[in-house]
Amino acid sequence: MNLLEVQDVTMRFGGLIAVNDLSLNIGKGQILGLIGPNGAGKSTAFNCVAGLYNPTAGKIIFDGEDVTGQKPWDLCKKGLARTFQIVKPFASMTVLDNVTVGAFAITDRRDLARKKAMEVLELLDMADKRNALPGALTIADRKRLEIARALATDPKLLLLDEVMAGLRPTEVDDVIEIIRKLRDRGMTIFVIEHIMRAIMALSDEIVVIHFGKKICRGKPEQVAQDENVIKAYLGENYGTA
Amino acid sequence: MTQQNFKRNCLIAATLAAFALPLVVRSATYLHILIILYLYAYMTTTWNLVGGFAGVLPLGHAVFVGIGAYTSTVLWLQYGVTPWIGMLAGGVLAGAVGFLIGKPTLKMRGAYFALSTMAFVEGIRVMVENIDMLGPFNLNGPRGLNIPPLAHGEVNFWAFQFATKEPYYYIILTMLVGVLFLTWAISRSKMGFYLKGGGEEPDAAQALGVNVARYKVMAMVLSSFLTAMAGTFLAQLTLFIYPKSVLTLDLSFELAFIALIGGRGSIAGPIIGALLLRPVTEFSRIYFSSTLPGLHLIILGVVLIVVMLFQPRGLTEPLTNFFNSIARRFDASAREERK
Ligand SMILES: Nc1ncnc2c1ncn2[C@@H]1O[C@H](COP(=O)(O)OP(=O)(O)OP(=O)(O)O)[C@@H](O)[C@H]1O
Ligand SMILES: [Mg+2]
Repeated sequence: MNLLEVQDVTMRFGGLIAVNDLSLNIGKGQILGLIGPNGAGKSTAFNCVAGLYNPTAGKIIFDGEDVTGQKPWDLCKKGLARTFQIVKPFASMTVLDNVTVGAFAITDRRDLARKKAMEVLELLDMADKRNALPGALTIADRKRLEIARALATDPKLLLLDEVMAGLRPTEVDDVIEIIRKLRDRGMTIFVIEHIMRAIMALSDEIVVIHFGKKICRGKPEQVAQDENVIKAYLGENYGTA
Repeated sequence: MTQQNFKRNCLIAATLAAFALPLVVRSATYLHILIILYLYAYMTTTWNLVGGFAGVLPLGHAVFVGIGAYTSTVLWLQYGVTPWIGMLAGGVLAGAVGFLIGKPTLKMRGAYFALSTMAFVEGIRVMVENIDMLGPFNLNGPRGLNIPPLAHGEVNFWAFQFATKEPYYYIILTMLVGVLFLTWAISRSKMGFYLKGGGEEPDAAQALGVNVARYKVMAMVLSSFLTAMAGTFLAQLTLFIYPKSVLTLDLSFELAFIALIGGRGSIAGPIIGALLLRPVTEFSRIYFSSTLPGLHLIILGVVLIVVMLFQPRGLTEPLTNFFNSIARRFDASAREERK
């Protein structure tokens, strides 16, 4: 059964069509990769799914329900969590407090929210940094905090927007490990990533978009050999990342 | 004594000292100064509920002071309703007005909210100054309302009038402690986390399940309600209210200044701000009110600029750090003793 179905979604900004008639679906427990050149419309597609933008046309079906146009906070309560490509930590709050905000999505009680937040921080190996302010964290940890907050809301579907960008190779390996661990716990994951090595290793399937249009969908090895994809995108990047 | 205990004990000691103060301070003049100080600390704390925690800038909070003062006074003068009930009625009315201002504007970003709060306080002042009767209610235009003082034998709790300053002192101190406790409780609760998160990074907060606008409106309604209670207190303390005393931008700005200089969004900020800045206003009113009216706002503005340059989060932060270093020293010396 599909957890998420994106049906013919179009998103226009004035004259610019950022997402053009995009359709895709993700089965429960799957990891779907979304790739494409800079400005292809990946983040915009995420924003449509997560309710930040109301798509110009098309439908979003989440967990069997038409959720098109619903607000981010309602979608979050239904089990859809996301990270932002440009991290947005609450700067004056400690790491633990940041994650606690997320945990309040599943409980009204402070002690339970705290407990949930600590569990997530331990899962992500960040427990020792719980009292730090986000400004004092490395890029890798800030990205990880972004994941931690989203996880604290107990999502069924997790959208990850370039959580490995700017990380060192060993740090990338750590994040790959984390994502695998989450999938093993039954989470469904939709991931945007420029680092080919990571997306190839993680994804059950990959969707490629170019100028907002889907140009290919398939298993990682199929996508890597697709002519359109090589022309649009992989030609200059594959193997260099 | 651990650090936590030390802090708690300091807090309890300060509260007890404040309650015991009238035993030492017998002069009515000094008590009055303290009463006004607490009143400002109270109003700034309620301002802070929305201006500090929700990360928006209300610049018209005097409108709620005015609503509180006028509601209880009209109810007392025309219907003989005790100001204690009037206080609640004013709070409810102010909460409704706070909702009306906040609902459309708190969704938007930027200055819309701040501007509409300013417009509201000015609009209502002009309105009250230009009408005598609002429906059946006599507001008496620019002349304002006098509450006839009761004779010494008649003053009582229900009339909210007292022969000495002490009862006023205890009432406002209780209100202040209550609202500080409420702020503390909120700041630790889901609402506090949501307000702070929503104020700092609305998109991120929304993605984490926070209906940011709704929580801001909730904070605004609560803040309006509690601010109006201060209006009733002020009316009963001075027994005379008029539009230019309670419905002004002057008062609105002063509350914002005190909070910003003291420390927006911190619990101690309003108290520290009021302690440091009320004297400025008081002295400039005493010495310059005829020659340079409004001088206090200029001084506060300059202080604000200086503080924002060197301590953008207000004066509470360095003071808290100082206090914490003392608390740590206590902690260390306590550990020494145990050895
Ligand atoms: N809010 C917006 N208003 C106007 N144009 C936008 C907006 N958001 C995105 N765009 C435009 O839509 C196009 C797609 O942007 P998007 O951020 O979705 O690309 P992307 O695939 O995520 O790129 P990158 O890999 O660089 O993150 C770009 O041309 C961008 O300038
Ligand atoms: Mg992007």
